[in-house]
Amino acid sequence: MRCPVVRLLLLAVPVFAAETKRTAPAPQVTFYRDVAPIVYRNCSPCHKPGESTPFSLLTYEDVKRHAHQIADVAKRRYMPPWPPETGYGDFVEERRLTAAQIRLIQEWVQQGSPAGASTGSPQAAAVEPEWKLGKPDLILHVQKPFQLSADGPEVFWNFVIPVPLYSTRWVKAVEIRPGAPRVIHHASLLVDRAGSARKNEKTPGVGFPGMDLTVDENTFDPDGVFLAWKPGSTPNIEPEGIAWHADPGMDMVFNVHLRPDGKTETVDPSIGLYFTDRPPTKFPMLVELERDASIDIPAGARDYVVRDSFRCPMDVQVLAVYPHAHYLGKLLEGYATLPGGSRKWLIRIPDWDLNWQGVYHFKRPVTLPRGSVITMRFHYDNSEANVRNPHKPPQRVRGGGHADDEMGNLWLQLLPMGNGDRRPVLLEALMRQRLERSPGDFLPNYNVGDLLLSRGKAAEAVPYFERAWKAAPRNVIAATELGVALMSLSKVREAKEQFQRALEIDSHFTDARYDFASALAAGGEWEQAAEEFQTVIRERPGDRNAREHLGEVFMLWGDQFLKAGNLELAVKRYDEAIVFRPADPELRMNFGTALVSLGRLEEARSQLEAALRFDPGMQAARQALAAIDAQKREKPR
Amino acid sequence: MSTLALLPAMLMAASIATAQITTTDVAGRPVQLFDASSSNPAVLIFVRTDCPIANRYAPEIERLYNAYASRVEYYLVYPDAGESADAIQKHLSDYRYTVPALRDPKHALVKMGKVHVTPEAAIFSARGELLYHGRIDNRYLSFGKAMNRPTRHDLENALRTALAGQPVMETSSPAIGCSLADIR
Repeated sequence: MRCPVVRLLLLAVPVFAAETKRTAPAPQVTFYRDVAPIVYRNCSPCHKPGESTPFSLLTYEDVKRHAHQIADVAKRRYMPPWPPETGYGDFVEERRLTAAQIRLIQEWVQQGSPAGASTGSPQAAAVEPEWKLGKPDLILHVQKPFQLSADGPEVFWNFVIPVPLYSTRWVKAVEIRPGAPRVIHHASLLVDRAGSARKNEKTPGVGFPGMDLTVDENTFDPDGVFLAWKPGSTPNIEPEGIAWHADPGMDMVFNVHLRPDGKTETVDPSIGLYFTDRPPTKFPMLVELERDASIDIPAGARDYVVRDSFRCPMDVQVLAVYPHAHYLGKLLEGYATLPGGSRKWLIRIPDWDLNWQGVYHFKRPVTLPRGSVITMRFHYDNSEANVRNPHKPPQRVRGGGHADDEMGNLWLQLLPMGNGDRRPVLLEALMRQRLERSPGDFLPNYNVGDLLLSRGKAAEAVPYFERAWKAAPRNVIAATELGVALMSLSKVREAKEQFQRALEIDSHFTDARYDFASALAAGGEWEQAAEEFQTVIRERPGDRNAREHLGEVFMLWGDQFLKAGNLELAVKRYDEAIVFRPADPELRMNFGTALVSLGRLEEARSQLEAALRFDPGMQAARQALAAIDAQKREKPR
Repeated sequence: MSTLALLPAMLMAASIATAQITTTDVAGRPVQLFDASSSNPAVLIFVRTDCPIANRYAPEIERLYNAYASRVEYYLVYPDAGESADAIQKHLSDYRYTVPALRDPKHALVKMGKVHVTPEAAIFSARGELLYHGRIDNRYLSFGKAMNRPTRHDLENALRTALAGQPVMETSSPAIGCSLADIR
């Protein structure tokens, strides 16, 4: 009742208004003039139909119905949800109220949430179209939606989504429609080029549970790009020059964190891909700082610190950052120490909440000169004081991918400065620095081995692969790569044995079987090589290399019989080889010669003619044909 | 401050004096509370259709109903005058409620139960005395801070105590939820 009285006084004695101002309460705050601009900018983008929020905040009536609650959650800074601390990184889409805005909302509610005059007030954002970026070039649907129970614990679910493509395409943007956004707080999209995620499915297409998953290749990192969703974000279009490649046969894995909301929900996400014809000219890389293997937090520890750092081997730009921890994370910090010793903050999250994790893109790239050291320093609270602690009473917690384990990762999207694709240099520096602190770790050993092998330094690569395989003896890829390095060194027998060990780990790992078959062929073990290549083709019917190699095996096998004078068997093998190498003139020539020796002249003629068709300059074939003609003239039938 | 302190006592007195209360269900039919036809205590759970915390509690509210319906009068209460009967019906079916629901557009029950947010519970004796009001359990510590499982079931404990004929202790922790002050 006080406000109207004061207003009356002011109206009645305007002359004294100037003097009374100091002692009078604040002038009335109204919705349309004062509060609406704050709400429309910071609340309405999410609080509207189809978004992840439980109610809309698009009109005065909407806001009035929740006014006390809005004032409360704004004061606590629970809403709008913006975990990073201001001044420690300048991010796109920052939604954070100023202290003055929060005060204004409190005053408005205290004054009874008046509407005020609505003329000229800003409008809330319109309802979004189905796809914010327009119709995608390719829309992916999950094979089986997930049914989330009304009650129960949080669920981490993975959808495996095949990508129906016939040729490689460059992707410049991805729009994620999470499906039932109200129960999803965040989601990541992973690229799986090795078909490894689908192995976790009990039945193809049903998906599988799991919080942090690893896939064998290019897990989180399709060409250095983050693919993530958090409530209210606009889909990220990659900057000019950045794109990632989508291949035929690859899968995308959609990893979601689901929280029951009291009723059964059907989670049915779809993914829109937007292509570009322009291949990338800039090559960022996702660099991960982490010490997961060393995390071991005693029960009750209130401030356990996890650190990792990386020294930049060249000038880089930081484009985006994604900090990740589980329920014990409390204060998450990421910063760079420049060569001069000064500190440049990248991100600081003072009250970490797994539910509001996300990828943060910098408004302007943060440039770090060569020699800068990027550091993550994460603090964990494993005491009872941490309400999010999954263990009651607290228990010792170690690093791991389950929700009850703990993680500490600071992912950075780094763009190396300079010409061309400099990711290998960046990766090598990262991995070699990792090796300095953890010489026996799988990942750095594997990656350095891989880099050396790709540069043709197989001998140097072998010990790295050996250490990687020792660290992860069940890792079929590491086992196989060691074999590839041995093979490159022409250590055929050792390579063959190594591929056999890989196949003992996973008999369906076709890459290893292909390599095994190649090693057998290199050792002249034709029969077994042919058998193995035939298995490869059964498992991967479209594998052209395997078909060519199988043809080659049959051909060389035939040559061997030919040399030994076993014409019948030579011809048999050549006949099999032709199926896989129909356009090989040498093969046709040898086949023809063997047939001539067997006196099967008409068949020989057709093979020799074919040889000439594919290589008209082949004199030997011409001579052989002439010889057949001469023979026929001598012995007419 | 002195008038504020007096207010609950006055309301308490009022609720005892006018024990019988007539309210309506979602379809608008009258429902009698505390009319001596039942000797059971009554449990009112205040909710609104658009409160995420109240909605999150739907399975727990339903569980308590199924566990105690034979011994207590148990109702959901929708105190928001702005919610249509259709919206409430849809809400009941979306969240698979079988609990009977009442409407309280003038906040008579809100005042009797001294509740301030949704979800919040009030237990009354058969004669209409307020025995308990407050949170259902301690799952929520504040907005955005929820445990996977509650460790104190305040409402259920109070209910058991009341059914045993023992004096009910008030909970000291406030309920966390959506303010009812906005829908007066």
